[in-house]
Amino acid sequence: MNQIRAVVRPSASSPARRGRLAQVGAAACLAAATVASAAMPASAAPAKGVTLTFWSWVPGIQASVNLWNKSHPGIQVKLDEVTSGNAGTYAKMFSALQAGNAPDLGQVEYATLPNFEHVGGLVDLSKYGAASVKNDFVGWTWGQVSQAGGVYAIPQDTGPMGLFYRQDLFKKYGLAVPKTWTQYMADAVALHKADPNAYIAAFPANDGQWFSGLAWQAGARWFSISGDSWVSSINDGPSVKVANFWQQLISKHLVKIEPDFAPSWYKDLSDGTVLTWPTAVWGENTIMTNAASTKGDWRVTALPNWGAKAANGNWGGSTTVVFKDTKYPQQATQFAEWLNTNPASITGLITKGGLYPADIAGQGQKVLSQGVPFYGGQNIWAVFRANSKLVNTNFQWGPIMSTTFTQIADGFGNLANGSTTVAKVLASAQSQTVSAMKSQGFSVKAG
Amino acid sequence: MAVSNDQLAVVAPGRGREVLTGGAPRRRRRLPPHVKFLAPFGVLFTLFFPLPIGYAVYESFLKVHSSGLGLTPGSTSTVFAGFSNYSQVFADSSFINGLGRVLLFGVVQIPVMLVFATVLALLLDSVVVRFKRFFRLAFFLPYGIPGVIAAILWSFLYLPGLSPIVSALHGVGFGSVSFLGSRSVLWSIANIVTWEWTGYNMLIIYAGLQAIPADLFEAGRIDGASEWKLATRIKIPMVSGALVLTGIFSIIGTLQLFSEPEVLRSITTNVSTTYTPNVMAYTQAFTDDNPYYAAAIAVVLAVGTFILSFGFLKIVQRRGAAS
Repeated sequence: MNQIRAVVRPSASSPARRGRLAQVGAAACLAAATVASAAMPASAAPAKGVTLTFWSWVPGIQASVNLWNKSHPGIQVKLDEVTSGNAGTYAKMFSALQAGNAPDLGQVEYATLPNFEHVGGLVDLSKYGAASVKNDFVGWTWGQVSQAGGVYAIPQDTGPMGLFYRQDLFKKYGLAVPKTWTQYMADAVALHKADPNAYIAAFPANDGQWFSGLAWQAGARWFSISGDSWVSSINDGPSVKVANFWQQLISKHLVKIEPDFAPSWYKDLSDGTVLTWPTAVWGENTIMTNAASTKGDWRVTALPNWGAKAANGNWGGSTTVVFKDTKYPQQATQFAEWLNTNPASITGLITKGGLYPADIAGQGQKVLSQGVPFYGGQNIWAVFRANSKLVNTNFQWGPIMSTTFTQIADGFGNLANGSTTVAKVLASAQSQTVSAMKSQGFSVKAG
Repeated sequence: MAVSNDQLAVVAPGRGREVLTGGAPRRRRRLPPHVKFLAPFGVLFTLFFPLPIGYAVYESFLKVHSSGLGLTPGSTSTVFAGFSNYSQVFADSSFINGLGRVLLFGVVQIPVMLVFATVLALLLDSVVVRFKRFFRLAFFLPYGIPGVIAAILWSFLYLPGLSPIVSALHGVGFGSVSFLGSRSVLWSIANIVTWEWTGYNMLIIYAGLQAIPADLFEAGRIDGASEWKLATRIKIPMVSGALVLTGIFSIIGTLQLFSEPEVLRSITTNVSTTYTPNVMAYTQAFTDDNPYYAAAIAVVLAVGTFILSFGFLKIVQRRGAAS
């Protein structure tokens, strides 16, 4: 069923690698992986003949692993290509941790990291010198991998947001490219007046992660830690501001409510029903693959702002973690650092995996500084590189994000029939998250 | 229980009296033949039925407990939960809503489907129809298509903008018909299920019809019964057993409704993660990483299905005995 699901819903909950990445990998590999890690000789001398297993779903990451294996004959990494995290791999990682035979290394998205931390599944890499690579990465990513003094992952890729828009149709309808959300609203009104069948955007009513990226930009802080207690504030001021903004667009029928990454949504991106998509850098590939007929029509600009101060949000991205069952935490940490900072490795991840690196030097690579023909030759990377620096650094995820996102998505499902509002959905997701955390024994306060 | 006792005897043949009396050949001779015949079944049955069910029941009494921030190793553990998962299931409004939804679905869809299946079976069985083999195969064909594939195919026929049906209805003046609206989507799912299973049920009923001795019809015809009378007075009463069977299968299938809503979930926001109890259990286990709660949902659902199926059987049998 996992595989079927992955095909049916192109990684609906794995934003970093929507579209083509979701279909990679087979569950069958997992069985092999379990056997491999169980069979690992316990008596092997750490410096010589070390073999590490690594579960990842990034296409083409084998090339980077091969580079490492060639230059590090003493520490061989065996890659198992698995299906994307929410399509089944996370569930298997949790089971493997429980059974005590998890792989040495794994791919985990930022939002899921606290989930793994709270089952005690991750090795604190700061004991193995991970702090030395801190300054190589975009500021906010280090905030996401560190928790209460420990470092639990090495950042790999990010999803700084931007606004993809149909330049040709903006011209046709005489719309100005919005610099602020107020202008965005004005464009939406003008557009709908000019053509009642065209919308400024689709509101993805199945996608809590999309919304969290926009709230992040507005300065929301869904989770934080105060003393020995979590503070949950999913309906904080900035989030409600964003919620009310989109509610206004929904109430005036200026956005089309539909699930994203679905056939009808792709169609709307292709045929001009929807003119913009506020999304992350990887959306570049989603549009190129699924709306191929619009070649040359799309451009990218910074996400509209809430005020004078420019800020940005992030949607998706993942990390490399070391699982608790490893016998070689030192070597595994070394590999995780190398994988995500070595220029040749990063080139492979960018070109073969379609990732946008968290490594600052990596963002300046040649492959990320050229115009893209699909976007009329625009150097879209320059836009994202500049906006990657503006991502708010204090945003944090909580320990049961999947539950929170499920609550939001189920609530959003009722927006179309008018029985709820975006702000009400956030409020109920907040209270349900707090009560779910309490029932699991967490110390938590509503913020 | 008889099965598992037999199976024990196979697994541990060395125990008991045989050991005292001696050698391997004798021991082998002593193993009753029915045990040998039952062994393959017993082993597989135990592996794939009582063991997983027992494990699910066991899991349903556990829960994860964290303390404080839950960030340090050891601050999170799996503890015995008593019946707390079960009380949570019964207090969970989304579970109750989901259950209500599948019951409503069953009350409408099962009779419609069984009427279709019976009519088709009677048509195939009547003397006037030609190309019986072709039609029998054609009716049965949808069952040969895996449920997920069928749901994907139908999802394209429901999608506004892509569906020829939606645009045809629009063309003849029905306006924009929504198959995926918050009210209509349940019946769109019912349509998929009916399409898929009518042929299967028809075949069971048809097999029942074939088993009716031909002399009954001859006698009926001699008495001047029309084809219609033959169908209503002889055929339908004679296949009531098959109808009960298909009814029970359908009740079980309805309560376990999963792949159709799960597939449609990717194209409409009107199917939530708690749409049916099974979708809810799946989400709990594989998205929310809460297998213990999912196990409790599954156990409640299984017990509910058991009660409904046997309740239906009892009612039908009592009525059968009365008449």
